[in-house]
Amino acid sequence: MSADSAPRAHHSDPAPGITPVVVRLKLSLLRNGLKQSAGRRAAYIGSAVAVLLFTALLLIGLIALRGHAHAASLVVLLVAVLAAGWAVMPLFFPGGDETLDPTRLVMLPLRPRPLVRALLAASLIGIGPLFTVCVLAGSVVSVAHGPVAYVVGVVGVVLALLMCVALARTVAVANVRLLTSRKGRDLAVLSGLVVAVGAQVVNFGVQRLGTSGLAQLDGPADVLQWVPPASAIGAADSASEGAYGTAALQLALTALAPAALIALWSRHLTRLMTAPDGSTLQAADTRSGERKSAGLSRLLPPGRTGTVMERSLRYVWRDPKTKAAWVTSLAIGLIVPVFNALQGTGSLYFACFAAGMLGVQMYNQFGQDTSAFWLVAMTISSTRDAYVELRARALALLVITLPYAVLVTVLTTALLDDWPKLPEVLGLSFALLGAMLATGAWTSARFPYSIPQEGYKNVAPGQAGLAFMAILGGMVSAALLCAPVIAGTIWLNVSDGGDRWSWLLLPVGAVYGAAITVGGLRLAAPRTARQLPEILLAVSKG
Amino acid sequence: MTSGAVTGSAAVRVRGLWKRFGQQVAVAGIDLDLPAGKFIGLVGPNGAGKTTTLSMVTGLLRPDQGSVEVVGHDVWRDPVEVKARIGVLPEGLRLFERLSGRELLAYSGRLRGLPGAEVDKRAAQLLDVLDLAGAQHKLVVDYSTGMRKKIGLATALLHNPEVLFLDEPFEGVDPVSAQTIRGVLERFTASGATIVFSSHVMELVESLCDWVAVMAAGRIRAQGTLAEVRGDAPSLQRAFLELVGAHSRDTGSHLDWLGGGTAR
Repeated sequence: MSADSAPRAHHSDPAPGITPVVVRLKLSLLRNGLKQSAGRRAAYIGSAVAVLLFTALLLIGLIALRGHAHAASLVVLLVAVLAAGWAVMPLFFPGGDETLDPTRLVMLPLRPRPLVRALLAASLIGIGPLFTVCVLAGSVVSVAHGPVAYVVGVVGVVLALLMCVALARTVAVANVRLLTSRKGRDLAVLSGLVVAVGAQVVNFGVQRLGTSGLAQLDGPADVLQWVPPASAIGAADSASEGAYGTAALQLALTALAPAALIALWSRHLTRLMTAPDGSTLQAADTRSGERKSAGLSRLLPPGRTGTVMERSLRYVWRDPKTKAAWVTSLAIGLIVPVFNALQGTGSLYFACFAAGMLGVQMYNQFGQDTSAFWLVAMTISSTRDAYVELRARALALLVITLPYAVLVTVLTTALLDDWPKLPEVLGLSFALLGAMLATGAWTSARFPYSIPQEGYKNVAPGQAGLAFMAILGGMVSAALLCAPVIAGTIWLNVSDGGDRWSWLLLPVGAVYGAAITVGGLRLAAPRTARQLPEILLAVSKG
Repeated sequence: MTSGAVTGSAAVRVRGLWKRFGQQVAVAGIDLDLPAGKFIGLVGPNGAGKTTTLSMVTGLLRPDQGSVEVVGHDVWRDPVEVKARIGVLPEGLRLFERLSGRELLAYSGRLRGLPGAEVDKRAAQLLDVLDLAGAQHKLVVDYSTGMRKKIGLATALLHNPEVLFLDEPFEGVDPVSAQTIRGVLERFTASGATIVFSSHVMELVESLCDWVAVMAAGRIRAQGTLAEVRGDAPSLQRAFLELVGAHSRDTGSHLDWLGGGTAR
């Protein structure tokens, strides 16, 4: 790094002191981590050995890849994934590296520029950077041919490593700012969901790759070879092919990225250490007006029904736990049927997944209220009140679920081009949705449990068995309740000329679903009205 | 021990009320007669069973045994009559925190079946009087403790109840908000309504209440007018300490090294 601002009174070191101090601090922290307990030491050494072995294997694999037709695409993607890993790591392990949290240094009289330099140097120590260097070096070896390519590669490796480290630091600092505000903590709850949905996408991606080969990678790699730090590998690859202009451009991009990141990080850092934290700023934040609410309430029915629906729908958007549950259901309800259809392996009946996933939201309705359920309990004084309350919650759910289930079913049908089956699958979806709402209402009254508001857990300690029983039992009962419609579908499909009558399943399924929902609500209402204090007790543990 | 023998105009009548949590007896068979139209304080040390008692009286917690009548109606047999007539501000339970203060009032008023226009009118006035008008569009989750108590009080008052139950309404509240709450409560009792509130701050109870019930270890130690319960003691604090048997602990001789500034 360049020696700048600091006065040159001491001829040897332009920034006396803090870089070595912080580096030594990092080393001490690593060493002290080992000292804490025998178990921890064993775990640390074990994982270090595992990582090193994995690194070695990966390195051998990468070198063996040399000369393979799609080697460049593969390693470019690999480096992009590695960088993504550096970006998300501080979000999930904020306590993993104590030097990552600059607020610990806030009381010390340090200037931003030397501090940035020192923290960056400290970041380069550890198993993570070692692993990264190995992967980067291996990647260069697998694509580079000729001395120029190797020179470009070595420069690229250094720049890419710097970028990874700066990326992690920038994200960590931005994260500290986020986590001190309520909005940020809400986001943290949602980030678990990104992983859940992302895993689904990756799963389907890998399946697809398995069926159609490495050539699939060329498309994304063509783009990623221009995105730092993967562009470092792109540069080495271009240099091997003699495209020196392209290589120079890619290398320049790779150099630009860490510079920009370090500038951004340093700005964030200065602000973080001099400005009040988010929780203080929150008080000054004033919201203006109720944006869409007035319009929303005008569309809803009057009385308790509309009031409860409005509150439920607001919570889908505003409450992080409810929002996370909904987004997961919506995403998985779409991904499973549509991705399967895209691969040609799917059946149209998978479209019922959407109805099933969204119906789950009816479960544990009162747990979603948390202990604020007392406000509801104070206004339920008869079975009728309880029935209207539960019905309104089911209606709020249907406002989203019904169009969504239809959309997913039609989309899946279009992808599979199997239009004659559309009515029966829709009918089946409606019946399933009705059964889920019915069992959901009943289990809400019979097996309520608390949803902790902080953290990733969706069940309060000690209530996991209850939650499991409610959801699993409810789903099995829902499937059983649907049995008549399922039986009808099978019968019409196997009998001669049954296809002519299969459209009947749409009205039959819809009516059956509606009837079963009303039945479930009627069964759940008296129990809810009788058990208000018990429900309140059960949902107040979070 | 005194008893308020005015059974005719009792706002709350409790007979033989018990609640156990496992081995722990939280409320051990209490009888209470709280007169209507009074500002009533339920006082006692932490863990005396005040919150448990108020939860059972308001129908939020099922008692193991005993009966509760509010304005002549049994809380468990006749919830329709009771729930419409009472307002509650519980301690330690959440509100719907992802609603704004104004939305919370609109929601709870409409849940109680009040006409929408009336709810909005009352909500606007309550927000104004409780000094929450500036924060009415902020989510309750971003409210401070004092603001939370005030919006909870507004929720409890919205349907103009006959009896108001407040569990520790001044706990953690700044002096300005406390004064606002106090003003609203005094205006409310002046109109003939009954307020029952729990607290462990004796000075507060002494200055606000005209009727007091003292609770300790799950039992009622005394109930009656302020003068009756205070008896000969110079203050309610002293009378209370004698009632709960906590007056004779001497801390004088043990910490004799404390103070003096010698720092050793």
